[in-house]
Amino acid sequence: MTDARYYAASPADHAGPGNYPLNCWYVVATSDEVGRSLLGRQVLGRRLLLFRRQDGQVAALDDRCPHRAAPLSMGTLDGDQVVCRYHGFTYAADGECVRVPSQRHVPYGAHVRGYPVYEQPPFVWVWPGNPARSHGTEPPDLPPLREPGWAVLGGSLEMAVNYMLLHDNALDRTHFPYVHPHRIHRGYVEDPPPLQIEVAETTVSYSRTFTPAPLAGWQHEATGLPADMEYTQRETGTFVSPALHVDDMDIIGPEPERQLFRGVFIRAFTPVDAGRTLIIWRGARNYARGDESVTERLREVYEGTMTEDQPLLEAIQATTGGGAGYQVSAAADAAAIRAYQIVEALLAEERGRSVIGRRVARRD
Amino acid sequence: MSSGEPPSAAMLTVFSERRSDLVITAREARAEGVISLTLADPGGARLPAWTPGAHIDLLLGDAVRQYSLCGPPGDQHTWRIAVLLDPGGRGGSVTVHQTLKVGDQVAVRGPRNHFPLHAAPRYIFLAGGIGITPIMPMIAVATEAGSDWRLFYGGRSRTSMAFLDELAPYGEQVTTWPDDEKGLLPLDDILASPADNELVYCCGPEGLLAATEQRCAAWPAGALHLERFSAKPQPESAVGQEVPFEVVCQRSGLTVTVPPGTSIIDALDEQGVSVLSSCQEGVCGTCETQVLEGVPDHRDSLLSEDEREANEYMMVCVSRSKSDRLVLDL
Repeated sequence: MTDARYYAASPADHAGPGNYPLNCWYVVATSDEVGRSLLGRQVLGRRLLLFRRQDGQVAALDDRCPHRAAPLSMGTLDGDQVVCRYHGFTYAADGECVRVPSQRHVPYGAHVRGYPVYEQPPFVWVWPGNPARSHGTEPPDLPPLREPGWAVLGGSLEMAVNYMLLHDNALDRTHFPYVHPHRIHRGYVEDPPPLQIEVAETTVSYSRTFTPAPLAGWQHEATGLPADMEYTQRETGTFVSPALHVDDMDIIGPEPERQLFRGVFIRAFTPVDAGRTLIIWRGARNYARGDESVTERLREVYEGTMTEDQPLLEAIQATTGGGAGYQVSAAADAAAIRAYQIVEALLAEERGRSVIGRRVARRD
Repeated sequence: MSSGEPPSAAMLTVFSERRSDLVITAREARAEGVISLTLADPGGARLPAWTPGAHIDLLLGDAVRQYSLCGPPGDQHTWRIAVLLDPGGRGGSVTVHQTLKVGDQVAVRGPRNHFPLHAAPRYIFLAGGIGITPIMPMIAVATEAGSDWRLFYGGRSRTSMAFLDELAPYGEQVTTWPDDEKGLLPLDDILASPADNELVYCCGPEGLLAATEQRCAAWPAGALHLERFSAKPQPESAVGQEVPFEVVCQRSGLTVTVPPGTSIIDALDEQGVSVLSSCQEGVCGTCETQVLEGVPDHRDSLLSEDEREANEYMMVCVSRSKSDRLVLDL
């Protein structure tokens, strides 16, 4: 217990019941939400204060004045300094208190915790864990959101579910015929191809390639491909990190060009607390890029799919209290089970504790 | 379309480790007989994240060899491994040294991690020879985390020890100990005082691992973490002496008889129960399976004596059964 730096990060990091690793980048806002005003946001088991400094960089601090706990987001931004609404305590962008109006000196300990921030538009990522562990790391690169050649739409919503339920749902294809029957093509129900699940240490992905089949209605409307033709489709989904799930959905166009119609559905899952999750999502496509009606059609598909899942997932959350506690799993759940294991291992590493009942933690 | 219609056919799920074809972007000499290879996706795509202690399989024709990732864990686009030339080995390192060059593609499986670095305020790292590889990212992360650590790095001779240049900036936290100058690592001194909240990570040749295990007997349970590069020597067991036994797969509801000379994993595979596996010699831990009933005949190099006696987990690639029947969580 001699190293103050090591332990300094611990108590706050493990405040509250969280089954999410803290040494990880999470999306807490989109770039357009953070400007020259104070934004308070409840995420990652705490209230965060976000604002843009004069040089354009985003700052993230605890949204709580250490004096009498007023939310700093109720105060004002003066240059790069945050002034508390209650007594005028003033903080620099790194969280150091620089002024207490009622006295000459700043009291010892008057600083607000700051967080490492990484902005790669449209996402603002924050690292809630040990700040030093963020050095040399970057959030996952998402080329469709930064490269030319893609049309992007998106939004956000909050669900009353633990974030792992959303990962579980995102890695599961077998609920589609039941929950999203009008959004799928024939391949989902007739002779579904093998689901290939690939695991690595901290990631898991599924992929499958369908035998040629007619497109689902929305696919035909979005791509402009004829409804009466059959196309090869491939879908891949990846648990990239506890904070991110990415799906690629490909339609191979007709001969001879065999144009690739690719849709990429990016979902950032950011725990608000143990029972709520903020979903910040983007849908990118490499076709019909200038067509606003396609954008609106796809918006309905993405939002509709999530809101169709929502009542079920929230009911499951209410039933299980968010802990998995499932009694039975099927073969098709292999990817989701792996995601739970990955998170369990990351948490064990982070907390310096063995995974209960697992050998890997104590090879002594 | 097809609203509300249940699937008319069952879906097959195939579970495997991530396999990728990567391109060698750098090949560098690191010491006598040691080269490092830097690997990247040919299209520049992001590689899956990993944590210190992770390793990958290099698929070299029929041979599969494990190499620890030894570059910075934060690097999303390249992985680095280091390979010691071992002419007396099984041939993997000779293939790597003699044939692989910048621009070549190699097939890779993983990464996976059976040597994870757990957060702790203090660490002792012990590396012998090429065992330095998993330790490199560990000390980088331990430094960032603000932990107090020391590394004792032994090797045949200074010229045979890789990464001395990259270790130099750590100054006195690193003690290099070439055999030809100083003899074997002074483990009695290094491990003399067991401490709470201090973890020991050791990777290297069997002699170093065995000696470290012995010196750590007085340390708190769970303090020592080891990684073996090759199988622990096992008593010879002639196939003729092996007896058949029954394996019950609890979740799949399948019962399989494992004949002499056939591994559990192969017997299950023939019946369509696939278990993730990699090394096939009880070293890597990929096929670790929970035991629900029965007494395994452990033949792996991973489990400690306590763990063997606990009968909770087994490596189904090499281990067999002492009881007539094993019930596994498969």
